[in-house]
Amino acid sequence: MLRVENLRKSYQVGKNSYEVLKGVSLQVGRGEFVAVMGPSGSGKTTLLNCISCYIPADAGSIRLGKTELARLDEDALAEVRNRKLGFVFQDFLLLDGLTVRQNILLPAIIGGLVSDTTEQRADQLCEVFGIAAIRDKYPAEISGGEKQRTAVARALINSPLLILADEPTGNLDSKSSRAVIRSFEQAKNALEATIFMVTHDSYAASFCDRVVILRDGVVWRTLEKGATDREDFQDQLLDAIREMGRGEKEEG
Amino acid sequence: MRHFSEVCAQMRRRNQKQYALLAGCCFFSVLLITAYVCMMRAPTVLNVLPEGGDSRKQVMMIFALAVLGCAVFTTYASGLFLRQKSRETGVFLALGASRAQVRGELYRELGVLSLGSCAAGAVLGGPLAWVLWQVFRLCVVDTEEMRLIFDPSAYLLALAFSVFVIITMFILGSRSIKRANIIDIIQESHKSESIRDVPRWYGPAGIALLVLGIFLGYMAPGFFIGVLHWYSPDWVDAIFYFPALAGLYMILLHTVVNGWNGKKKLYHDLIATSQMRFQGRQTVRNMLVMTLLIAGAYFGSFYTPMIGTGSMMGYDALPVDYAYHFRADQDIPLEEEVRAMAEEYGVTITDFAAVPMIRLTVDGNDLVEEDGPFGTVWHREYREVLASQLFLSASGYEALTGERAEVAPGEVRGVVDVEGSKLGFDPDASLVTNYITEKRLPVTSLEPLRFDSLFERYVMNDEDFAALGEGLPAQWRETQVCFNVENCEETYAFAKALFNEIVDRSSIGVALFDAWDPVVRDWYVEKDGVYFLDRECAAGMGFPVIDYSQRDSSSFRLVWQYMPRFRVLDKTDFVKTMAVFLILFVFIAVVCFAAVFVIAYTRCMTIALTSRKVYDDLRRLGASNAYLRRSIQKQVKRVFLVPAVVGTSLIYAFYVLILYFNGIPAGIVPSEAAGLRAALGVIAAVSALIYAVYRLTFVQVRRTLGVR
Repeated sequence: MLRVENLRKSYQVGKNSYEVLKGVSLQVGRGEFVAVMGPSGSGKTTLLNCISCYIPADAGSIRLGKTELARLDEDALAEVRNRKLGFVFQDFLLLDGLTVRQNILLPAIIGGLVSDTTEQRADQLCEVFGIAAIRDKYPAEISGGEKQRTAVARALINSPLLILADEPTGNLDSKSSRAVIRSFEQAKNALEATIFMVTHDSYAASFCDRVVILRDGVVWRTLEKGATDREDFQDQLLDAIREMGRGEKEEG
Repeated sequence: MRHFSEVCAQMRRRNQKQYALLAGCCFFSVLLITAYVCMMRAPTVLNVLPEGGDSRKQVMMIFALAVLGCAVFTTYASGLFLRQKSRETGVFLALGASRAQVRGELYRELGVLSLGSCAAGAVLGGPLAWVLWQVFRLCVVDTEEMRLIFDPSAYLLALAFSVFVIITMFILGSRSIKRANIIDIIQESHKSESIRDVPRWYGPAGIALLVLGIFLGYMAPGFFIGVLHWYSPDWVDAIFYFPALAGLYMILLHTVVNGWNGKKKLYHDLIATSQMRFQGRQTVRNMLVMTLLIAGAYFGSFYTPMIGTGSMMGYDALPVDYAYHFRADQDIPLEEEVRAMAEEYGVTITDFAAVPMIRLTVDGNDLVEEDGPFGTVWHREYREVLASQLFLSASGYEALTGERAEVAPGEVRGVVDVEGSKLGFDPDASLVTNYITEKRLPVTSLEPLRFDSLFERYVMNDEDFAALGEGLPAQWRETQVCFNVENCEETYAFAKALFNEIVDRSSIGVALFDAWDPVVRDWYVEKDGVYFLDRECAAGMGFPVIDYSQRDSSSFRLVWQYMPRFRVLDKTDFVKTMAVFLILFVFIAVVCFAAVFVIAYTRCMTIALTSRKVYDDLRRLGASNAYLRRSIQKQVKRVFLVPAVVGTSLIYAFYVLILYFNGIPAGIVPSEAAGLRAALGVIAAVSALIYAVYRLTFVQVRRTLGVR
């Protein structure tokens, strides 16, 4: 589904150049729920932004299905973002002037895909994520958790190949976080969505099938959940993070 | 809602305040510029602003400032609008809208908004100028020459400005979407415009550069002309003002980034200073434009009090109530007729003197201009017959003034005004000639006499006067009349009647521009075949043509060579005579101050809009209402206070400089000092207005931020 190979990206700050991604390679299969973890500055968000084509990568390859994203022109990229990708952002990025339902329909409206079926799908998504009661409200009138569930529903409206989520629980309390993660699980199970999520939160990551840990711009370790219990998997994640911390200390 | 355009329409409804702000800014700037252009290009105004004259240059200079101010402020408003819209644009792009799709919607919006607001501003600009003009005519003064006529070509300038506004909007709009990094577009509205650290010496160095720039800029043309004998082009003169502009920028930068309170108050002003720093670049730019506009507005505002006070003092200082002169070939009323007329009007003449004058030529240095590789240069060339002057005998002078003029044979004394100013008249003749008989007399010029009503005359010994006057025809002889009356202030009707009588009985042969000189004329006719001040050439050269039917117009009263000087007439008709100048400069001041207020208000409201989250956070951190209020006040105050203080001091100092160095000899005469005091009065009144707008803005900003 998603294949990233030897991805490199650096930022220019004044006269200095900082290499953030130093050759990241990974794959995400259809129907998988994958998280990327790592300390601040490890390149998680940059990786996600490169996959979304929000920022151009310096080198490497990103393939979505059979499509090499780097080779696409502006219009084709816009179409990929609209039809094949769904996005969930840390600060939701809902438009204040639109209602919950209109926000959910926005990718379909942009793509010119709105039909009675799409509207029914929007209503279904509202039901699935427990936001049917607030669908005519504006973002300013709903809670953070509700906003993020709206964002998840919006990401799913065009039935994309892949959902990209950037710290979706970063701005939420634990109760809302649980609700959002449950939304992802529901999307995966009921709608067969593929999800690629960047997170700091080991609790959120413990729901994933696989967790890729980045350190200093490269993949440091990948943990598979397999048949492990969620709580045990979270412990494994915490152990890995502790080990990475110790390694950094020793190197320091 | 199924179409992208419907989403955009809903977003527009939701964010209508942002659209209204941008439309309002465009409308306002085009309205002001159109009104200004209509006024500036109106034949009514152009007729009284001589081409190449200082007044026209000043009007043009302030116009350039107003255009700059409005251009900066519409560009700023467009930038602000796009910044506020960037999140929405970024979200559309992030969710898969193509750039062409977003650009199409944005262009449609900008097109409707800019065309609509610019068209409305351009259409209403003319009527605004007309209404303001009519209000002035109704409330202050109305003369025939004040009938405002518009020149349709003025709209071309307004159109050019509108095109600039529209193009700027589209360029900024296109740039806002073009960026490759979508995350940058989304985060654009949160980004600060902070400026790099500014060393603390920028403040004092800025003041030093400002003073130096004003001094150099003002003195440079004089240096080029006086020392290098070179008429430097305007752009060369302008270069010398650059240090002033750089200094001004440094002062504002220091004010915004460091403040003037020193490090001691760093924590006391932390929020205000930091917030302003985050809006750094735009704030400094806005404050710079405001400072220049305030300076320009005051320049216009000072014109009225300076001219008014100086003229009124001049009228009061006139040593005689009534003075007029006429050529000997004219049939102008003399004592008998004047007394009869006075009796008719119930006016008592206390003393009356009419003495003969003769027109002789004087020698001197002519300034000969030549075109060189770097422009026009000049050199002095002595000529024995340079120009003509009117000469009085010593006894005639005594009869007119009651003062003895000690002049021995072979000596002459020029007459300057009571303040000793020699502006435009340098009485140092060393050879006097009868132009007709060519009889010559070498003379010594003594210390000038001072008598306002006889300015620019020469006084010579009675015997010399008689000898040199021999053989002069009537066109070279004149009569000077001076008389006083009882209760001069109540003799307006008589003054008006006498003035009308003099004009009615003057022949077309004396309908001459005040600088018209028969000797200079002969010289030009011999050299070029024409004399630029002759009636047939004057209009073509941009000089007013003397028209007796326009005797109440400023162009007539200011430049007719035989214009009588009647204190009561001059004083009473001053406002009427100067009406066009007054309204033009008052109008300019109104336009510039209006632009300043709009820029300051918009800037402060931007601070409010972008700081809302900061103030919410401060409230959560336990900041008291008084603390928040103080921090808002500091920011709003800085936006208003700094340009007001710098702009006001700048222009006042510049005015003092002009008056000081314009005088011959250099210095400030009492009438100028009075004008400067009156200008201080204007500053006080305008400062009160600025304070009122500041308070209003402060209240609005607090209301927006929810601070009591």
